[in-house]
Amino acid sequence: MTTSATNAGSAFALEVSQLVKSFGANKVLKGVDLQIRGGEFVGLMGPNGAGKSTLIKILAGVYEATSGEIRLGGKPVRSLASSSDVGFIHQDLGLIDGLTISDNLSLAQPPKRRLGPVLDKRAERAEAAQALRLVGLSMSVDTYLSDLTPGEKTLVAVARVMGRGANILVIDETTSALPPADAGRVIESLALAARSGATVIMVTHKLSEILNATDRVVVIIDGELVQDAPTAGLDRAALVEMLMQHESDAREINTRAAAGEEPMCVLELHDVCVGKLGPINLRLNAGEVIGISGLPGSGLHDIAFLVNGSLKPERGEVVAHRQGLKRALVPPYRESQGGFGALSVRENLSVSSLWRWRRRGARLLSPRRELRDCAKIAADLSVRPRPMDVPFDTLSGGNKQKVIFGRALLAQPHLYVLCEPTRGVDVGTRSEIYRLIREMAASGAAVLVASSDAEDLFSVCDRVALVVDGRLQRLRQVTEMTASELELMV
Amino acid sequence: MMVQAINEDTPEVVKVRQAAVVQSRVVRRRLIENSITLLVFLLIFAAFGVFLGGQFLNVAGRLLDVHQSVPVLLLGLAVLVTLIAGLFDLSVAGNATLSCFFTIGLTVNQGLSFPVALLAALAIGVVVGFVNGCLVEWLKVNAFIATLGTGAVCTGLASVYSGGSYVGPLPGGTQLPAWFVSFGSFANKAPTWLVTLAALALFASFSTGLDRVRPVGWDGRRWLVAKVATLVVVAALLVFVVRIWEWIRNLSWMIAFLLIATLALWVLMQYTTFGRQVQAVGSNRAAAQLAGVKVRKQVIKSYVIGGLLAATAGICLAAGQGSASPDIAASFLLPAFAAAFLSTVVLSDGRFSAPGTVVGGVFVTWVGLGLIVAGLQPTYVNVINGLVLIGAVALSTATRTRR
Repeated sequence: MTTSATNAGSAFALEVSQLVKSFGANKVLKGVDLQIRGGEFVGLMGPNGAGKSTLIKILAGVYEATSGEIRLGGKPVRSLASSSDVGFIHQDLGLIDGLTISDNLSLAQPPKRRLGPVLDKRAERAEAAQALRLVGLSMSVDTYLSDLTPGEKTLVAVARVMGRGANILVIDETTSALPPADAGRVIESLALAARSGATVIMVTHKLSEILNATDRVVVIIDGELVQDAPTAGLDRAALVEMLMQHESDAREINTRAAAGEEPMCVLELHDVCVGKLGPINLRLNAGEVIGISGLPGSGLHDIAFLVNGSLKPERGEVVAHRQGLKRALVPPYRESQGGFGALSVRENLSVSSLWRWRRRGARLLSPRRELRDCAKIAADLSVRPRPMDVPFDTLSGGNKQKVIFGRALLAQPHLYVLCEPTRGVDVGTRSEIYRLIREMAASGAAVLVASSDAEDLFSVCDRVALVVDGRLQRLRQVTEMTASELELMV
Repeated sequence: MMVQAINEDTPEVVKVRQAAVVQSRVVRRRLIENSITLLVFLLIFAAFGVFLGGQFLNVAGRLLDVHQSVPVLLLGLAVLVTLIAGLFDLSVAGNATLSCFFTIGLTVNQGLSFPVALLAALAIGVVVGFVNGCLVEWLKVNAFIATLGTGAVCTGLASVYSGGSYVGPLPGGTQLPAWFVSFGSFANKAPTWLVTLAALALFASFSTGLDRVRPVGWDGRRWLVAKVATLVVVAALLVFVVRIWEWIRNLSWMIAFLLIATLALWVLMQYTTFGRQVQAVGSNRAAAQLAGVKVRKQVIKSYVIGGLLAATAGICLAAGQGSASPDIAASFLLPAFAAAFLSTVVLSDGRFSAPGTVVGGVFVTWVGLGLIVAGLQPTYVNVINGLVLIGAVALSTATRTRR
C-alpha cells in the first residue's frame, strides 16, 4: 500500500485533489484536481475572479483550503510555503530598491559570517552571481535594484528563489505589469529553467506567453478546472475559445438601445499629451459607455485621470461641454487610491458629495440626511456587512469596490470615469457592477471604462478602443466585433 | 395591521432581524473594547480615592489641576488638528510662547490697548500656521522639519523681543486689564446656571445615544424601562458618588473656555465638509485627492486652525501666569502630543478626537498628581506621564488585536 502510494506520488512533483474553498456561502473553488510532473511548464489561465489567485494563495499558505488535499512529491502537505523546494513569485516582488542585487539575494539566506557579526561579503557576492547565471542575467551583483528595468527586477526575484534551491516555481501574474519586451525576457528564462528540470506554474492573462513557452495549459472558470491540454497544437483562436466557452450568456446582455438621436457631447480631449502619451483625441457623449483598454503600462489609467481632471495635460486641452461639469472617478487600485481604511463605510461613501448634506444657511452637515442617503445607496449595492460605521478596512475586496462605486453614484456626476471596475471581484459582484454601469448610462451620464480586462469591454461598452504606443486607436462599435477579435486585440 | 402581522415571519424578515441582532452585538462589543482605557483610568482614580481619601478626592483640588493644565490641553487640541490630517505640527509650543509675549508685551511695554494686543496674538498664531501650511504643501518641506524650524523661529523671536528675560507688568506701569487677570484665576467661576444647562444637554445626548446599544429582541416597553433605570442609576451615581454639583460650582471660566473650544473643534471635525475631508486626507491622501478633495487647501487650513489654537493656549498662559518668560511653553510640547495620542484609545477606535484629547490629558495629570499626593517626588511627573501614555496605548491596542 505504502510503496504503491509513494510510487504513484513520485510521478508528480505536485498534486492537488478535490480542492474546495468557500468564503462564507460563496464557493470560490469547487473541487479542483491538478497533477503536475517535475520539469513541466504549466500555464494557468482564466478570467478575473475565476479562482486562480485563490488557488495560488492556498498553495502559498495564505488561505487554508475548506477541503481537499495537496501533495508535494507524494507527501500530503498543508501548503507549499514551508517547503524549501518551492518558490513563489508574486506581483509584488518583495525586493528592496535601495540595496544591491547581492544584498537583496542574501536577505533571503541565512547570514554567512566571517567573524562574529562581520558578514562574509565575498561569499555572498559569489553566491549571488551564481544565482544570476541560473536566470541568464549577466550584470554586476553590485548594481542597485533601482537601476534595473522592471523585467530585470523580476528576473532577480526568480534568481532569488532559484538560488535558494527551489525547483518548483509558482509565478502569479508577475508578467502582467511588465512591458512586452521585458516580459518576453522573463518568460524565456523561465522556459530555460523548465528545460533544466525546474517545474514552473505560471498564472497569466497573456495568450502569447502561454503559446510561446508553456508545455501545458490549464483553464479555470468559476472555480472549476474546465480545460487541461498540452499547449502543442493550440493556437490563439483555440485558446480564446477555451476562455470564452462559459461566458456566452455574459455577452447576451449586450443589447442596448442604440441612441436614436444625435448624442450630446459632455467632454472632449483635443490632442492631449502627457508623458509618453498622446496626442489623444476622445469624445465622450451623454448616455454612452466608452471602453478603453491596453496593456499595463500603456498609460490607460492616465487617460482616465486626464478625463477626470486629476491629471493636467502637458499639451492640448480637455474641453468640458457643459457648465459645472461634475465628474466622479473609480480609481484602479481600491486600497491605495480608493478607500480610507480607518474611516467608516459611511464616511467613505460620503466624502465626494458632502455638499449635498449642508444645511441651508449654515456650513454644518446634517448627519441624519447623510446617513439616510448613504444607507440607501449601500442597500442598493447590497454592501455587506450592513452597519454603516464599520471601518472600510474590514470589508472584503468586492464590498470595498461597491463602496467606491457607491461614492461615485452619490456624487451624481455627469461623467463617470471607471478604472478597472471589476478588478478582483467575484462573479456575482461583477454582474452587479455591469448592471450599475448600464444604469449610469441609461440615466443620461457619460461613462468611460478604462480596463485591462476584455470582459469589461464587451459586456458593458458601446464603443471601444485600444491604447497602443501612447496613442488611442479608433473607437469601434462593440457589436461590430466578435469576442475573439476583442480578446486578440488585447 | 393584519398584513403586518402575516409578514412578520417571512424568511426575509427573519434574516433582517438576525442581521440586526448581529449588528447590535457588534456595536456593544466595540463599545466595551473602546472604553477599556477609560475604565482602567476610572479604576486608577477610584484606587487613589480609596488609599488617599479626602486628600485626593477633593473636587476643588482636582479641578485646579485641570485649570492649570488648560494651556497644555489647548496645545493638545492644536496638534490634534494636523495629526488628523496625518501631519505633525511641532511649532505649537513656540507659537504659544510668541503669542504669550505678544499679549503681555504689546500691552505692558508698547502700551497698545489690550484688545489690539489680543488680536495681534491671535493673528501671529494664524500667520505661523499659514507659513507652516505653505512650507509643507507648496514647498514640500517635510512637516516634521518645517514645523520644528518655525517653532524654533517663534521661540527665538520671543527671546529676541524680550532680550532673554521675562516680561510682565511692573508696579506703577501699565497693568493687564482686571477681567483678563481674573479669567486666568481659578477663583473666577463660570456661572452655575450655564454649566448646569450644558451638563443637562450632555446628559440628554447620552440618553439618546443609549438607543444605539438597544438589544434587538427587546420590545419598546421593556427597553423603555431598562433605559429609564439606567438613566436613574447614572444620575444617582453622578449626584451622590461623583458629587456633580460640586464640580459644577467649582468650574472656572478657563475650564469652561477649554470645554467650549473642545466642543467647537469636535463639531468642526465631525459635521463640516472641512473636517470630513481632513479626516479623509489623514486616512489616505492619494485617495482623497482622487475623490475630489482639495488636499492642499484643507491641509493649509488645518495648520491655520492649529496655529490659532496654539495662540489661544499662549493667551491662556498669559492670563494664568500674568507674565511671559522665554521658555514658558517649551515643556508643554510632549504632554500635548501625549494627550492627542491618548485620544486614539479613549472612547474611540483608534482615531484622533477632540474630547478624547481632553479626557486623556486630564487623566494623565490626575494620575501624576495622585502619585505625588501619595508621597512620590514631583520630579517623577515626566516618568509617570511617559509610562501612562505607553501603557494606555499598549493596553487598548492589545484588546483590539486580540480578536
